Amino acid sequence: MKKIVHYINQFFAGVGGEEQADYKPELHTEILGPSLALNKALEDAEVTHTLVCGDGYFGSNEEAATQELLGMLEGLEFDLFVAGPTFRAGRYGFAAGSICKSVKEKFGVPVLTSMNDENPGVNMYKKDMYIFKGGKSATKMRSDIKVIASAANKILKGEKLGSAESENFYPRGIRLQVIDKNMKPASTRVVEMLLKKLSGKEFETELPIPKNDRVDIAPAIKDLSKAKIALVTTGGIVPIDNPDKIQSASATRWGMYDISSNDDLLEGIYKTIHAGFDPYGADTDPDRIVPLDVLRAYEKEGKIDSIDSHFYSTVGTGTTEGEAYRMGSEIAVVLKDHNVDAVILTST
Amino acid sequence: MKLEIGNFIVKEVSFGNSTSFQNGVLTINKKEALEHVMEDSHITEADIVIAVPGDKKRIVPVKEAIEARCKIGKNCTFPGVTGDLYQLGEGRTHALKNMSVLAVGKHWGSFGDGLIDMSGPGADYSHYSGLINVCLVADTDEEFERHEQQKKNHALRWGAMRLSEYLAEAVRELEPDEIEDYDLCSITGRDNVKDLHKVVYVIQCQSQMEELGYNDLVYGWDMNKYVPTLMHPNEIIDSAIISGSFMPCSSKWSTYDFQNNPTIKELYKEHGKTLNFLGVITSNLNVSLEQKNRSALFVAQIASTIGADGAILAEEGYGNPDADFIACFDALEDAGVKTVGITNECTGRDGKSQPLVVLSEKADAIVSCGNVSKLIELAPMEEVVGELQSLARDGLSGGWADDEKLGPSVKEDGSIIMENNSMFCGDQVVGWSQKTMKEF
Repeated sequence: MKKIVHYINQFFAGVGGEEQADYKPELHTEILGPSLALNKALEDAEVTHTLVCGDGYFGSNEEAATQELLGMLEGLEFDLFVAGPTFRAGRYGFAAGSICKSVKEKFGVPVLTSMNDENPGVNMYKKDMYIFKGGKSATKMRSDIKVIASAANKILKGEKLGSAESENFYPRGIRLQVIDKNMKPASTRVVEMLLKKLSGKEFETELPIPKNDRVDIAPAIKDLSKAKIALVTTGGIVPIDNPDKIQSASATRWGMYDISSNDDLLEGIYKTIHAGFDPYGADTDPDRIVPLDVLRAYEKEGKIDSIDSHFYSTVGTGTTEGEAYRMGSEIAVVLKDHNVDAVILTST
Repeated sequence: MKLEIGNFIVKEVSFGNSTSFQNGVLTINKKEALEHVMEDSHITEADIVIAVPGDKKRIVPVKEAIEARCKIGKNCTFPGVTGDLYQLGEGRTHALKNMSVLAVGKHWGSFGDGLIDMSGPGADYSHYSGLINVCLVADTDEEFERHEQQKKNHALRWGAMRLSEYLAEAVRELEPDEIEDYDLCSITGRDNVKDLHKVVYVIQCQSQMEELGYNDLVYGWDMNKYVPTLMHPNEIIDSAIISGSFMPCSSKWSTYDFQNNPTIKELYKEHGKTLNFLGVITSNLNVSLEQKNRSALFVAQIASTIGADGAILAEEGYGNPDADFIACFDALEDAGVKTVGITNECTGRDGKSQPLVVLSEKADAIVSCGNVSKLIELAPMEEVVGELQSLARDGLSGGWADDEKLGPSVKEDGSIIMENNSMFCGDQVVGWSQKTMKEF
């Protein structure tokens, strides 16, 4: 019989709600909570362990929590890993996606989870794993578990999952060709689609174009001489030892660096760790990417009021839209906290 | 314009003493047929091989497919190409149906050539697996391009046209099994269509080679030196456009594809019922941005001028031509013409690449006909028509001589691994396609 390990949060393990969010990882050999329902819905497989972790603990100690959780799985025999369902719980969704990704990388087993479409974990992890479309809240526990279990049964039998539409998971950014001799020929499909479009009826394109998530331009600053300006970059400028270990490509990390007593970013003290361009120009004068020197001059001339105490940096090359969105949101919180009026955002 | 196509349904093709058609059997006098082919002294050797659906035959490198037809009262089928110019799209044309004439290299392939399996899983990828194919298998003395990846394949393509004209002579004087009527009067002279949607079909024909001789021809004119023109749909299905020899094969539209364009037939079927089929704007595909934009501008202007409120937009290609496709899509939508596109995609072997090189939110309605880069593995076939090694050796768009992980396209036992790119006219954007793309 095939074996499954199931990850759930402190709430569904019956430990408690928000007050217990810092609950540290635990491995249970006696399965509990949603694991019981999952176990029941499996065909030739069983849930052998329930892995529990508080959402708050995971969120604020992602790396340590991941190491602890992976350590608990070490030496266990399992064929598949399930997390959730996580519904709309944002931190639970993040933890489920993150641990699934780590388990898949370390143990090479298939990983499955379930989230509601408003869970931010969907956009962060949908390209890395099967995330099934789930309900808003735990009232949908039974049906969400059923969807996960039916996919698990298929995978464990060695069957391939069908399309995102037929299996009800979020598209993973993989588009493949399907031949179907029962399908209407393209000439009929195209005329039918045109007639619908012309009559204002609903139609379904076979090649959905991703929507540009445009942000309106902020109103102009009327008086720059009273403005506090911050420098933010995706050009990978960091202190020479890259203290936050920002990745050179596909970044998931960002850093903020104190420049309150700097007038200039000097060669040998700062550099770029961006792998997407020839670093020579940036390394010999990091101001080329984070123009602190000229901005200080503006400050002295009174053209601007002041410069934020820190500059903010990450790497743009290969970075997913989901990660960029998360990092941008996190940086924005700090900028607001620092009462920054405007940002010069430099890319490369 | 009123066109009658008289169909002769071919059930069997065999060789015999005289070329004739009787009771569904086309008999070919091979010697006489080959004399017509050999009129071009550049053809050094030639043979005719018949391949029937279900045969354990693999045909490669296929350069062109043509439906054998003759024009009643005229002495050529392809005006401007095989004879003097005359107006197509009216009068009577006789056609040998259920059958195509293929131009097949005896040895040498080129980038735009393709493969056809007559049975097995490979037969799912080409419309031509389901037809009786009269294969002209020949070699030429076109030394200047013998080892070039891009070949004009002039002698072979023109040889196949002559062969198709020769075969169709057998039915010139006969009564067809059935007659299809294509009757569409002038745009302003139509009754009973006033309340219907006015629809135009836009075809972007392949014309991206700046050097002449590789591109689609309209009445013999190279479409690289062309601006979009309004044509009567009858002209297209009456052999006005000849396929070229350039684009990766699954994206290509053969001359047979133009002659039998299913989208034109579908629009004809709906004409007077759900829509008013105004006509076909034949556009092209270009290299420079200015050329792309100029063609898009012409298409949108013609569509507006004739009062179209809807358009179907089809591209004969992928990759760079996606820019022409999206430019034209945007131009039509900006002109207030509601548009549905039809194209294939290139999402890579893993399905993770952006489907078109250029995207636009205005392109909100697209019918998708498959992934050019899908990897296909096929077992050996009992007989090869042409030369199997051409798939690996000659730079066909979906084949390769060697690959670190996959090895060569052609294995020692005759099995093959290739990309869909080289399936002969495989993506059927003209309208046959029963392929689509799904998210996984």
